[in-house]
Amino acid sequence: MKNQYALKLNLIVAPNWIHVFFSLLRQGFMVETLVGCSIKTMLGEALGLDDNFVEDRIKTIFLDAKPVDDISTANIKDGSVLALSGAMPGLAGATLRRGGRLASFRGSISFRSDGKNALSQDGRVLVKLFNLLVKDLGPALLNKGILIRKKQLEDILGRQPESFWTSLAGADLNGRKIRLDDWSETILPEMIVVSVKPKN
Amino acid sequence: MDKILRINMGADGGPEIRTEPVGDYAGMGGRGLTSAIVSKEVPPLCHPLGEDNKLVIAPGILSGSTAAMSGRISVGCKSPLTGGIKEANAGGQPCQMLARLGYAAIVLEGKPKENNLYKVSINKDGVDIKPDNSLCMLGNYDLVDKMKAEYGEKVHCISIGQAGEMKLAGASIAFTDMEQRPTRHAGRGGVGAVMGAKGVKVIVVDDADCKMREPADPEKFKAANKEFVAGLRKHAISGEGLPAFGTNVMTNIINEAGAYPTKNFQLGQFDGCEKISGETQAELENARGGEGSATHGCHRGCVIRCSGTFYDKDGNYVTKQPEYETVWAHGGNCGIDDLDAIAQIDRLDDDYGLDTIEMGATVAVAMEAGIAEFGDAEAAINLVKEVGKGSHLGRILGSGAAVTGKVMGVERVPVVKGQAMPAYDPRGIQGIGVTYATTPMGADHTAGYAVASNVAGVGGKTDALSPEGQAELSRNLQIATAAIDATGMCLFIAFPILDQPETFQALIDVINGFSGASLTADDVTELGKSILKNERGFNAAAGFTNKDDRLPDYFKKEKLPPHDITFQVSDEDLDQVHNY
Repeated sequence: MKNQYALKLNLIVAPNWIHVFFSLLRQGFMVETLVGCSIKTMLGEALGLDDNFVEDRIKTIFLDAKPVDDISTANIKDGSVLALSGAMPGLAGATLRRGGRLASFRGSISFRSDGKNALSQDGRVLVKLFNLLVKDLGPALLNKGILIRKKQLEDILGRQPESFWTSLAGADLNGRKIRLDDWSETILPEMIVVSVKPKN
Repeated sequence: MDKILRINMGADGGPEIRTEPVGDYAGMGGRGLTSAIVSKEVPPLCHPLGEDNKLVIAPGILSGSTAAMSGRISVGCKSPLTGGIKEANAGGQPCQMLARLGYAAIVLEGKPKENNLYKVSINKDGVDIKPDNSLCMLGNYDLVDKMKAEYGEKVHCISIGQAGEMKLAGASIAFTDMEQRPTRHAGRGGVGAVMGAKGVKVIVVDDADCKMREPADPEKFKAANKEFVAGLRKHAISGEGLPAFGTNVMTNIINEAGAYPTKNFQLGQFDGCEKISGETQAELENARGGEGSATHGCHRGCVIRCSGTFYDKDGNYVTKQPEYETVWAHGGNCGIDDLDAIAQIDRLDDDYGLDTIEMGATVAVAMEAGIAEFGDAEAAINLVKEVGKGSHLGRILGSGAAVTGKVMGVERVPVVKGQAMPAYDPRGIQGIGVTYATTPMGADHTAGYAVASNVAGVGGKTDALSPEGQAELSRNLQIATAAIDATGMCLFIAFPILDQPETFQALIDVINGFSGASLTADDVTELGKSILKNERGFNAAAGFTNKDDRLPDYFKKEKLPPHDITFQVSDEDLDQVHNY
């Protein structure tokens, strides 16, 4: 992930509070990457996922709300929304699974490649992670830092109880320590990289 | 399970108890048995609340044994909601207990001549029935507490709340869970109203001193059950996803697909879905803690444990973990994004004895009619409370979405055969729409649910991308589901079976090891077909035609955002589903 943003908020929290930030992964975080490539390529190059993990764990994929069957031919575009999930239960879960036997049940909304070669260029993709993938990938992604909208961060922090703030072990903006009690006074840009690390 | 308990509520001199051998129904269980008895013994044209209807409660063929996941119980009758045959099933403890007591089924027949309310108690020594009008209009929670005080702390209950007593078409039958709470419901089709019409408030079950049912081939059964459990545990859905997040894990996924019915099926995505998703729910439950919070079984012997327990912010028990369908029905479908409010409504539904899907759909229809605003959680809670009070408005709402839509002049009423659709918009996932339209049960997401077509030997041969292919797939899934429903197994075993052929074989071996039979996949298919034929035959005799196998017209005309798509499967293709 490139995420060439100047401002990075680093938070160190007690391990039992990491889950608070999982919601950001489900709402979606921005990935700056080369677009015009396949989902498969993007998952490997931008998110650093190996093929076996993708094959074994990412069983349900949506590109711009359309269920994807073949990740080698579905191309990412600038502004795409890519949602990733494990295998899901129920008839609907089986139906939405990529390449599943029941894929015809949702044929009318399935992603279909337009057959054109997409232009390779720098772009932004909104990536959403759901269910088991948050557990699998969330801690490492948060540790590294994810690019989100300021509003997302404010919403998350704004609804935390006092016990969260007392457990917060450290907070800095680009290395400059910030006071926690005047958090709401801190002026942030519209997009910000947030890193969340567990306290050792 | 070699006997059937029949209670004729209309006998001269008061209810008459008969215990008889299973006879022609030998070897049947669950949905197979309920549908066989209803189709053979109930006149299809009878009034569902009249003396000729029968309420059949039947454990599955593996229930009462140590087979994992075998604690689902089926309830069958002619439905007051659809006017056709009905099977609704539930978890909870009474299933295993009835099976251990040796009952293949309880059949409530006739109609009381006097206006009394009865309680039935069943234990190893026999069956007793007494009038007890002190139970009138008790909610399920208070009722169960009263039964525990009277019959002891180890009994379990099958009961109705106020909705069943009022004979409302949205009424459910409650089965107590492992903690003796009335949280597991045979919800669909108004089965609670039929129990109310029989004048039976509660059946108290006590299996003290009863043993597990013994398999015909203990070694084969034990080995197969071990293999079956291992298959469930190693699969990502049954071993990880469902235990961690429950069925509500589907919220984000269906929403992402644009098939999440929102604000009475007006939209395919809900802005507030993350606030009520399974992941958020599990995080909330884990943070609040408490016994069985985010991972819990609905009956003993459950390996998947997709349920949980919902506590409020102060740690007080509210209800069991609301399932996906409930969270959707009372959440996104009503524009509500507050898990605490949804849990409160779930508790009310369980206490009054109401189907959460039907009630959520009904409240959404009422919101569209202008009775309340979409998103107003307090108004939704108050509407459900109207049902519990039995007010005129409440009786209309408790009669379901179709009645409410008619009374309130709403065109957009998402029902098939009078039963409300569950949490998947058929315009987004059209194959599910085929099942909604054509199952004998009315719109039902579980009717075409189980078992991969290839491993069950019921595979389709036509082009799966064609409408004909969807019809064939739906048919085969309906057949397989009917067979699973007969075993007493939870339908969530479908996923390991879908992906792991050795787990499917283990299931067959469990059945064979228990029964001493030599079933093959083809036999399973034939069992499913015979159940569906019984059900279709009953409905045809009750006056149903292919015109009833249709979605409401607006699904063909109103485009669903974000995909802007209508339901496109033709009537001709729908008519091919049951062409076998």
